[in-house]
Amino acid sequence: MNNKLIWLIASKDIKAITSSTQVWLGLVLLPFIFSVIFPLVFILLIKNFPLSSPELTDLVNNVLNGLKEANSGGLINSLPSMKHQIIYVVVNYLLGSIFLLIPSLNAMMISLHSFVGEKERRTLETLLFSPITVKELFIGKVLAAFIPSIAITWVSFFLFGLITISMTYEMFGFLIFPNANWLILMLWVAPMITILTILVNVFVSARSKGFQEAQQLGGILILPIMGLFIGQATGFLIINPMLLTLIGVVISLINFILLKVMTKYNDRNTLFEKQI
Amino acid sequence: MALNMIELESVSKKFCEQLVLADVSMTVKEGEIVGLLGPNGSGKTTMIRLMNGVINPTSGQLSVNGLNPQHDGDELRKNCGILTENAGLYHEMSGMDNLIFFAKLYGHYDKNQIANLLDEFELAEHKHKKVGTYSTGMKRRLGIIKAILHKPRILFLDEPTNGLDPEGIKLVLKFIKELNEREGTTIFLCSHILHQLENICEQYLFLNDGKIIESGTLTELQTKHVSRIQLKVVTNLEPEEDHWADYPVIKKGKNTLQFTLPSRDHISPLLEKIIRKSWIHHVEIENNDLESIYFRVRGGRDE
Repeated sequence: MNNKLIWLIASKDIKAITSSTQVWLGLVLLPFIFSVIFPLVFILLIKNFPLSSPELTDLVNNVLNGLKEANSGGLINSLPSMKHQIIYVVVNYLLGSIFLLIPSLNAMMISLHSFVGEKERRTLETLLFSPITVKELFIGKVLAAFIPSIAITWVSFFLFGLITISMTYEMFGFLIFPNANWLILMLWVAPMITILTILVNVFVSARSKGFQEAQQLGGILILPIMGLFIGQATGFLIINPMLLTLIGVVISLINFILLKVMTKYNDRNTLFEKQI
Repeated sequence: MALNMIELESVSKKFCEQLVLADVSMTVKEGEIVGLLGPNGSGKTTMIRLMNGVINPTSGQLSVNGLNPQHDGDELRKNCGILTENAGLYHEMSGMDNLIFFAKLYGHYDKNQIANLLDEFELAEHKHKKVGTYSTGMKRRLGIIKAILHKPRILFLDEPTNGLDPEGIKLVLKFIKELNEREGTTIFLCSHILHQLENICEQYLFLNDGKIIESGTLTELQTKHVSRIQLKVVTNLEPEEDHWADYPVIKKGKNTLQFTLPSRDHISPLLEKIIRKSWIHHVEIENNDLESIYFRVRGGRDE
């Protein structure tokens, strides 16, 4: 395998993303809202305005019910006020799962474009006529989506942490962020979900002829993340380090199988005939 | 004796149930320029794809540069250059960046060579512009540079003059000829604009409905398919009957006659006779050019 060629493909695609304002704005807008706007507005509102929403109290109770056996349940209960509890629960449980949308959506957008875009511009044909192997091409494409997606996710995580800590440290007297859940989410689950999203989308877009067809199939991956979010909100499935590690292991297994299937079924001939 | 650079033996290709190439056999010798001629949809592009190993044949054997395109494709493609019908360039990248990318992709990055080729193809002043802003002809020329950056031993050119203006056509055809003479590159050209290839190729293959219906050098094709010469003569001779000097003649316009002769040997004697009585400004054999032969061969098939 030629690493130079893999990096050549990846850097070309990354350059295409960074050189188009329209594209990179689309990629950073959602993370900016999640990591900067939302914590700022949310924490300021909770801190400075009287609580009148029974839904928020229900939300805290749902999470507490789900955490009956865990240490964190005791910690939440020991917090001095409902405002403290709401901020702690939203920051550490609800936002953690929904934060996964950042790598997932970004990886989906980039990887969908990677093959469908090349097909639509008729450049995939040129790449297939070159001496690059299909495996090198795939890995290059996966890297091109992985690096920006995970970089944006980690920068968002850092910004989110900075804002959350600076706005809550005085109130709580200790660091409510990051906890083990967040670290496992960012360093283990997010990279695995990013790779899964990319593999599915590269696979789908390599075999579909148009962008819309690929987008519909690739978008299905958002559903489990929404499921995880609903799990937090209802208290049905509350995240903990063990659960997150397990989710990461399952996804990594799926990734491994997908990678095998991809290299088996996407030979040059198949890729080429799918675009003509 | 030159080696066979390309060999196809009974190659067929089906897409789903549609037969695109049927039992095609042919050889191209090293250093030759070969023209594959045929109408749109006759299978020209499919042949190029098969020879580069990007699609696999349904049946038959292929050998290009001594390699099997299906099994040794990556090795083979290192020595092949290709200009596809759509030049396959990145429109959001500059001309220069496109060339750097493709040079590196083929493992042959040489900045001086890129600069020289940009000069030669009159694109140097546009090298930093995005390819999306290029005219069709400029994209075509850049596509040709892209195809030859890594000094391939075999060059496949699919409709190389499409979209070019007359100056561009002249430039590209001259370059192809010079490249072949200078580097000994084997060149496989596809086109349906026949007169452009007349002075370029050593061998021609006529493809129709996925079958090679005729092949040979221009002389061989002329000998085989041109039995009677139609000679256009611009002269002030005014024949009164439909025969002159025993040759059938038709008046084609003011001062223009068309004689039908049994062979080329009759041209000089006829002209000597005309010149004794009248002036001659122009003489041209009308039915032995590539285009006429092509239509005759295809016409014969249709009948």
